[in-house]
Amino acid sequence: MVTPLLSFDFGQFMPPLLRGAGVTVGLVLASGIAGTIIGVVFGIGRSAPLAPVRWLASIYTNFIRGIPILIILLFLYYEIPLLFPYATFSQTITAMIGLSVYAGAYMAEIFRGSIQAIPRGQLEAGEALGLNYLQKMRYVVLPQALKIAVPPGIGFLIALVKASSLVSVIAATDLTRAGRIITSQNHAPLATFLVVAALYFVISYPLSLLGRWYERRLA
Amino acid sequence: MSTPAMILAQDIHKRFGDLEVLKGIDAEVDEREVVCLIGPSGSGKSTLLRCMNALEKFQKGHITICGHDLTGSKTNVNEVRRDVGMVFQSFNVFPHMLVLDNLMLAPMKVLKVSKAEARERAMALLEKVGLVDKAKVYPTKLSGGQQQRVAIARALAMQPKVMLFDEPTSALDPETVGEVLEVMKALAEEGMTMMVVTHEMGFAREVADRVLFMDNGVVVEQGPPREIFDNPQHDRTRAFLSKIL
Amino acid sequence: MTIDFGAVLPYLPVMLKALGISIEVTVLSFFIGSVLGIFVYLGRRSGLAPLRWLAHGFIEVFRNTPLLVQLYLIYFGLPEVGINLNPFWSTLAGMTLNNAAYTAEIFRAGIESVPNGLVEAAGALGMRFSQTFRFIVLKPAIRNVLPALTNQFIVLFLFSSVGSVISLNELTSALADLNQRTLRTLEIFTIGGILYYLTSAVIAGSSRLAERYLFRW
Repeated sequence: MVTPLLSFDFGQFMPPLLRGAGVTVGLVLASGIAGTIIGVVFGIGRSAPLAPVRWLASIYTNFIRGIPILIILLFLYYEIPLLFPYATFSQTITAMIGLSVYAGAYMAEIFRGSIQAIPRGQLEAGEALGLNYLQKMRYVVLPQALKIAVPPGIGFLIALVKASSLVSVIAATDLTRAGRIITSQNHAPLATFLVVAALYFVISYPLSLLGRWYERRLA
Repeated sequence: MSTPAMILAQDIHKRFGDLEVLKGIDAEVDEREVVCLIGPSGSGKSTLLRCMNALEKFQKGHITICGHDLTGSKTNVNEVRRDVGMVFQSFNVFPHMLVLDNLMLAPMKVLKVSKAEARERAMALLEKVGLVDKAKVYPTKLSGGQQQRVAIARALAMQPKVMLFDEPTSALDPETVGEVLEVMKALAEEGMTMMVVTHEMGFAREVADRVLFMDNGVVVEQGPPREIFDNPQHDRTRAFLSKIL
Repeated sequence: MTIDFGAVLPYLPVMLKALGISIEVTVLSFFIGSVLGIFVYLGRRSGLAPLRWLAHGFIEVFRNTPLLVQLYLIYFGLPEVGINLNPFWSTLAGMTLNNAAYTAEIFRAGIESVPNGLVEAAGALGMRFSQTFRFIVLKPAIRNVLPALTNQFIVLFLFSSVGSVISLNELTSALADLNQRTLRTLEIFTIGGILYYLTSAVIAGSSRLAERYLFRW
């Protein structure tokens, strides 16, 4: 194990790996933010007074959470050129769309759970004060739900960091793909992917610590 | 005079980190005696009670209970606990077992009593606490008062020589407090040796042979309930009683 | 090209066969990994500090790195040190270790969630530690962990698709292959997605049924 590790040329290969790590972080941030927005909208949609809205939100969140992220990415990768034959789409954009659709469904489920966790009395109190549906959501439900959603939200962000490695399969040049390109040059997959794994750990572990810290603060 | 005390605690010291919660407690409970521990919350009464069956360790002092010396390092805690029944504030009935199984488990597994005998004992005890019709029900379906009666019957199923009660009615709805106190009173009348931490002054006055008033980790005064309630000698006792009565 | 599901229906048996491999690798890695997870959990609670660190490190490493990179290490990296595993065994090994790290945490949470009062009550009745664990802690703990375990099982199943990247011929791999052959992307991936979704739904549904049957309190 030692020999292959020593043979890894950090000077030559760290810059492309770090660029890949930058793409990974960027993808996770962008799709994390987009996913949170989608999640809030669909999470509220799950408890909307209109039944068709509830069904739509429910189909989206449940179906996406029942299929692999890789299927979503592959589908977009092959389907987008068929739908828009003349547009040139960067794979990074396709990856971002796929990860956002994926993140949105999980975030929506997290928000649904958080909204449910708010005691009924809060809603009744809002009603008794004469607030309408949107006012109740805006001033009573959402502020409390967002707070409850933070620990599972951070947990999902960690899952998103790892899931984002699959964008390498559709040719987006993230950290994992940078690693694959390097192994085709240095033929040292063990050392290269150990470094790649370490870089993922560096991205993900602080999030784990943050989640644990926040949970302890809530308790 | 000749029978040795059922519980004898001498100079018990107990600390949680820097906080000394018991500062040299002496207490004694004779056979067939009912002793109530009263006092403000945080006075150390529950901790003292929990020391009696080794749920809490103490740093200094001696406890003998039903002939077992709790101080000796060779004491088998489980042997002590067979003789000492305990009832908790939060019932702690086993939620995944039928009421009947709650009562049969420990006699079968700890005392190795046969299933038939354990069942017989259990049914007799359910009769006694007025819950025969709940034998085949899960405890989660019962009210707090009913759950606590199950917990009392479960402790009695081990045929203990002493019963310890740790604020048995504090977690109950007011309307179910009475049914639990009735069961405890009946138990006292049968001659069970009991040590009861309680905030129910009416119960203490009526049922206790002796009342111990604790405050801030010491026993401030003790005596027959009439003396403690009607003629307290210490200011702290008076202050406490004036707040609670 | 118009949408025509009829055109891809003849390929359904191929998909179902591939789904069988997805399920096989998931079930195996779930059970082996969960048993391993019990040991990792026990390691975390061990009195020996080095064992605790080892278990903790194992959990953190596998929870904070992607399965895909783990599979690359096993499939492409291990041959460098003389360990050659085919795609099936590589995927199985990666998923098993991954599952062990996750279930170890699930077991910890489940056992810690059994109220301490129940353990005390059992102690006060004179029950030994082993009796308390077997009769008092185990069943409520299983009930507490079942939803999380089910969820983990579904996540594991969905991530078995990653095996396709190291050329395991499971469902995702079959879908990509059929897509190249037929160029009916929408139809192929819709049916594939539905197969994944239905399998997940069946897992979730049977878990709920089992829960209702097993835990009646």
